[in-house]
Amino acid sequence: MLKILVVDDSLIIRKKLIKIIEKLGHEVVFGAKDGQEAISAYKSKKPDLVTMDITMPDMDGITAVKHIMKADKNAKIIMVTSHGQEDMVIKSIQSGAVGYMLKPVTEDKLATAIGEVFIEYASSGDEDDLDILEDEEESFHTLDSEA
Amino acid sequence: MILDALILQSKLFLSEDMDINIENVDIEDQSPDKLILKDYTSMVGTGGKLNSMVIISFENHLLDKLVELFMDGEEVEEEELEEIKDSVSGETINTIIGLALPTFPNRGKGVTITPPITINNASNIKKYKNAKIISANITTEFGALSISAMGPEDMIK
Repeated sequence: MLKILVVDDSLIIRKKLIKIIEKLGHEVVFGAKDGQEAISAYKSKKPDLVTMDITMPDMDGITAVKHIMKADKNAKIIMVTSHGQEDMVIKSIQSGAVGYMLKPVTEDKLATAIGEVFIEYASSGDEDDLDILEDEEESFHTLDSEA
Repeated sequence: MILDALILQSKLFLSEDMDINIENVDIEDQSPDKLILKDYTSMVGTGGKLNSMVIISFENHLLDKLVELFMDGEEVEEEELEEIKDSVSGETINTIIGLALPTFPNRGKGVTITPPITINNASNIKKYKNAKIISANITTEFGALSISAMGPEDMIK
């Protein structure tokens, strides 16, 4: 079970992510509503993974990624973003995020993203599982996959 | 062009993501001096290569339905209701503009988006000097919303 920090200024998105993460069998250690809260929570809760919104008031997700990576160069951060924010996604990944996932967030997309970052949580087994991963190829992206 | 993209993505969001039937779409022919708002309104500013304000305004009943759908059967506690409504309204405009952006001129490259802000108890927004307002009203089985853009004519037409 992973300890996950959820960062999003939208209460409804935090609630949705928390619900999905718990359904996937992981623990949400904190739901932060901006970058500043995320940095504090990261230092105190030491999560295995962070889901990070990009556009937030006070401190955006890119700045928060930079601060978290400075505190822990092994931090695993997945950006959660809308279409049309490609420039900011690239900046986030250059700042240390491991990849990004496009909204709307679904259980399948998040499970795939977690499996990409933590191989032990990747779907495994028969060919059907592989087909599902292929079908969802676009649900999780890294800079390599953009190339 | 921008309004067309916003209308299309609003319709797709309502009908495909939310499974809400759309009954009618009315496009405002002339740029009004002020935008008449419905019960609940969220705005997103765009900057960089497109300076405009995109505004979505909901009738209460439609926003209540969207809250119900976003919550996916989970009950909303009374003290959280206003924040949830803000959040759903803001997330809706974020989703619509995010999906519309790649269809804007130059595929929306170089356009930045501010976090959404929500306003309540306001009846209208007045345009400033030479700004232009383009707007459409989308009526659904659960009430209506308007989607509008406000900014310099050469940018939003």
